[in-house]
Amino acid sequence: MEQTIPIFDHMPAQTPAAEVEIFDPPMCCPTGLCGPTLDQTLLDLNEMILTLQAENLRVARYQMTSHPQAFLRNAEVMKLVREKQMDALPITVVHDKIMKTGAYPTIDEVRSALNGAAK
Amino acid sequence: MTQFIFFSGKGGVGKTSMACTYAVRYAGEGKRTLIVTTDPASNLADVFEQPIGHRITSIAGVPNLFAMEIDPDQATREYIDRAMAPHRAAFPSQMVQVMEEQMSGPCTAEVAAFDRFTDFLDLPVDTDTSFDVIIFDTAPTGHTIRLLELPAEWSQSINEASTGSGQTCIGPAAAIQDARHKYERALAVMRLSDQTTFIFVLHPEAISIKETRRAIGELTKLDIANYRLIINGIIPPEGAENPLFAARLEMQRRYLAEIESSLPYPKQCMTLLAGEIRGVQSLRRVGRMFFDGESDPQVETFQAEQAVAKPPSYRLSDLVAPNSQRCTLFFAGKGGVGKTVASCITAVWLARQGYKTLLLTTDPAAHLGDVLGVPVGDEPAPVPGLESLWAAKIDPKAAAETYKVRILADARQRGRPESAIKVMAEELDSPCTEEMAAFDKFIEYATQEGWQAVVFDTAPTGHTLRLLELPVDWSKQIDVKVFASIDTAAADDVAKQRFGQVIEMMRDPQQSAFAFVMYPEATPILEAWRAAQELGAVGIRPGLVVANMVIPAEQATTPFTQSRRQMQEKYLAEITERFKVPLAPIPLLPKEIKSLEMLAELGESIYGVKMVRG
Repeated sequence: MEQTIPIFDHMPAQTPAAEVEIFDPPMCCPTGLCGPTLDQTLLDLNEMILTLQAENLRVARYQMTSHPQAFLRNAEVMKLVREKQMDALPITVVHDKIMKTGAYPTIDEVRSALNGAAK
Repeated sequence: MTQFIFFSGKGGVGKTSMACTYAVRYAGEGKRTLIVTTDPASNLADVFEQPIGHRITSIAGVPNLFAMEIDPDQATREYIDRAMAPHRAAFPSQMVQVMEEQMSGPCTAEVAAFDRFTDFLDLPVDTDTSFDVIIFDTAPTGHTIRLLELPAEWSQSINEASTGSGQTCIGPAAAIQDARHKYERALAVMRLSDQTTFIFVLHPEAISIKETRRAIGELTKLDIANYRLIINGIIPPEGAENPLFAARLEMQRRYLAEIESSLPYPKQCMTLLAGEIRGVQSLRRVGRMFFDGESDPQVETFQAEQAVAKPPSYRLSDLVAPNSQRCTLFFAGKGGVGKTVASCITAVWLARQGYKTLLLTTDPAAHLGDVLGVPVGDEPAPVPGLESLWAAKIDPKAAAETYKVRILADARQRGRPESAIKVMAEELDSPCTEEMAAFDKFIEYATQEGWQAVVFDTAPTGHTLRLLELPVDWSKQIDVKVFASIDTAAADDVAKQRFGQVIEMMRDPQQSAFAFVMYPEATPILEAWRAAQELGAVGIRPGLVVANMVIPAEQATTPFTQSRRQMQEKYLAEITERFKVPLAPIPLLPKEIKSLEMLAELGESIYGVKMVRG
């Protein structure tokens, strides 16, 4: 009964990094559907992810509780987290570069970051 | 018998006593035996007369016997500790704290209690810690079924989550992959007839039979096959020398015949005892009666307490009737003690006084329609035959469906694309949605305008407490919600205001009353007392107590009935002493309550008279 839950062992460490990575603030339920009221911001985010995925972009979303390894892998993200704590999150990373902190991006912001990075 | 034995059945039928009787018997045969309860209102400690708690504890005086009470709160704390250990090392403490707070929601509590429960079905073999027999004294039926349904539902949502958007409502279950295999193994073990037996304890009564049939039906859908029945509380020949008990025995015979024809499983009867079962000696005695067919050697004699506490001068009707504002009544207590009957009597009485009354149940195993003698649906509807009375049964599954439809309709209206709506629909197929939807309904009716009285026939104790504590929990959750859009913040404010209103109402004796229902017996009193204390912690005090199945003094005519009546008198005095609030007695009747007329008559006898200091 003393063992810890081996979350670190389950992380798919070798998967190629996604083009768009979103690091969430700690939350009970990332869908926005749980809880006494719906969270439209999170529903908007889910919709954006589906749109981007439909364009064959790889999008990953990380929870601090269930994907701590993803945070720890990214030194810049961890630096921000340690400095600004809650204010830093959510953090959006496009092609390994931080593009937005403290709020979720719009789809246009993500698109322009993707285009900028491609050039 | 198999290695794993589950005791199931409506609360109050003697499930724990029978589970303990089996445990003591197996331990006596030299089998290393563990009895585990997953009931949030466990009374194993009362039956064994020793503290047990949230760890495997050896039982004094019974070699080979061990017991454990799974405390859902403790299980949740342990689960969070285990899940958070790696994060504590890696992240700033402020964030760890937020994560921990957010893991303290009701979803995590469900996951954690279930997680603990499956640990015992998934024990490593051939170790020093293994047991020959593990007996589960499970939670009351409605809750039990939900608990046992979870593996199937979760396996499903975990599968979908791993192929779908990668998100799932069981987010707090950090070790999803690990947990999935554990839950699947647990369910596999429950399905094997050579490893697991489900023993249903029931009374020879309509409601108990119906409940057992329903419960077995649900389990059969989960491919569980190995059932046995124990029919408890059969009045012995010496008990039937009295007219009231003779009438009840007649009633029992009819129901025994019904059980024989409608429940084709191995079955065994257990006699109604003159006294009560407490302590190891008493369990051994019951074991000899049950397994070896000995007759009850003991007609217990109690010191007849002449100095029974005098009833204070009050009118029970003043406690339940609305004054200037509307009155909300909650009937709390262990499942099966008569909450439904007590709430029906009260609601019928209020309606007959002319108050526009809404009678509601939130118990998935409720039998409101049976007692009223009319069908009750999941939306409030007038009760035929009694003006001013409306009734509804909040079925968590139906509520979840409605909730889902409403949320998806809202999403469409906001112009979300079908692909997003499809994902939302999948996410909403989770056990948490049911919990949330039932709660949403509870709030809706607790704050609904237009009623002079609202009567809640609440769910069995553990579940009730969780449901009633939810408003408080959710307000806390909203306080820690860190990121919210303007839109969400506004919605949260409205929600918070509604919760605040409900909590305020529950705490205010001018607006509401909590009635604790119990049998005048040791264990039910202790359970009700614990439940009252837990509610006291959130600022809610009991308004009255209801004692059910009280043998009328004029019926105590034979040694058997006198012994039972004396036992009751002792406990009626104890109830008054402990709770220090007015007591409403419901008499033991020669037949079951299942019509408006009977309810009206009983209401008149309870609320229609002024109790005067003697």
